[in-house]
Amino acid sequence: MTRVVEVPAHFDDRSFDQFADGVAAGGSERLLFDAHATQWASPYGLVGLLAAGQAQIERQRERPLLTLPADRDVAHYWARAGFFGHAAEYFELHGKVPRVAASSASDVLLEVTPVRGADDVHGVVDRIQERAAAILSRELGLEAQATMGFAMALSEACQNIVEHAGTLGWVAVQTYHWRRTLKRRVVVIAVADAGIGFRRSLEASQAKRYGERWSDGTALEAALVQGVSRFRDPGRGQGLAGIRRYLGRWSGKFAVRSGTARFTLVPPWDDDVPLAQGLAEFPGSQILMIIPAQDGGAGHAAH
Amino acid sequence: MLRIDLKDILQRTVSDEYGDLVTRRTGQAVRQAIERDLARDGDGRAAAIDFGTVRCLDLSCADEIVGRLLREQGAVRSFVLLNVTAAHREALQFVLERHRLAVVVQDTGGALDLVGALPEAARRVFGALAQAGTAAPEDVARRLDLSPDVARAALEDLLERGLVVAHAGSYSPPAPYRVGPGPAV
Repeated sequence: MTRVVEVPAHFDDRSFDQFADGVAAGGSERLLFDAHATQWASPYGLVGLLAAGQAQIERQRERPLLTLPADRDVAHYWARAGFFGHAAEYFELHGKVPRVAASSASDVLLEVTPVRGADDVHGVVDRIQERAAAILSRELGLEAQATMGFAMALSEACQNIVEHAGTLGWVAVQTYHWRRTLKRRVVVIAVADAGIGFRRSLEASQAKRYGERWSDGTALEAALVQGVSRFRDPGRGQGLAGIRRYLGRWSGKFAVRSGTARFTLVPPWDDDVPLAQGLAEFPGSQILMIIPAQDGGAGHAAH
Repeated sequence: MLRIDLKDILQRTVSDEYGDLVTRRTGQAVRQAIERDLARDGDGRAAAIDFGTVRCLDLSCADEIVGRLLREQGAVRSFVLLNVTAAHREALQFVLERHRLAVVVQDTGGALDLVGALPEAARRVFGALAQAGTAAPEDVARRLDLSPDVARAALEDLLERGLVVAHAGSYSPPAPYRVGPGPAV
């Protein structure tokens, strides 16, 4: 039996739970990810889709199928974002893959990039600084110091994979105009893996402390609010707290989904909840960072 | 004073392609190389670590290099961080606050300051000392309109943390240093 998992028409962090519902309902059946009607996917959607495929392969299930977006422009964007270069490893692709090289077009600040180890993190930080500094300051009105903080946040999010996932993960960065809510330009960082997730990573050191309350939600709270790490070194556990502080300063959104829970640093412009629990199980962890254009940036609505 | 160039350390230990201090693994390698240099130099001499060629400093590296060095060697040796940018400061401040530690930094223009967790009085006193160069507690007290006892207590607090040096009843920051490339003064 093959079970169809519909890829949402507008595939981003908001519709990800709907996607996760479909993946969880698939159980051990072969999955067909149907993206033919997908009209748009954020970096979060693209790396999340790869993590879903990766999870199927790593659990030694039958290679899932993926129906490509029927819309030519959408498929071209996925190609430019570097998605198909990695998707072929995890999916049996159905549809014509556009012959478009992953590009350094200005909206794709970092194409979908695998992260396995420290060298990959160095590569990601190196590339983002080369490509993003001018855009972050011109389009988003971030000062030079903030663009360095942006590289720091990206580095720490990627290291979460290296240190805790137990498998490889994915990162992508894009800037686009967010017409729906903010009506200004944003830069979006998405990092996803299909690894062990926060609850299992922290279980040995924290589960006893929480007793029956131990869950994906409390694991996220421990990591993100209390700065707890599975390592005993008192210097550990600062990375995600540092990201929170950085994004808080720039009215950014920071959300981490792991297992059945999602913790969110909710900015004034967003109506998400700080902690969502009881979500559909999805493997590993998925990190979202959104930084909006600041007053004075070219991407601010007033300009 | 022993001068340690992070560019040189990074090239020796990790890769000559990297200009960023990111990832805990890189931080560990760099710190271990610094520790070897310090061990060769012997105990006690102050060390200046030059950040001049470092673009991005993430929290993991800031913790591994500066946080751990101060935790493990801060009691026996003073450290000064040279050519520290505003972005470096941000990462260092975050890490050192967590460890309740502080360090002397010199920016690219040569100005001295403290980064980390410190009482406000100690921070003000250090600022006055950085301007004066060398001063007795009474001089600092006059400059800041403090009682001599308060100024003296703040200076002793700074001395205990290895953030100033004392000589013949006067105190001064562990400086000056020449800005830019070249050996430390």
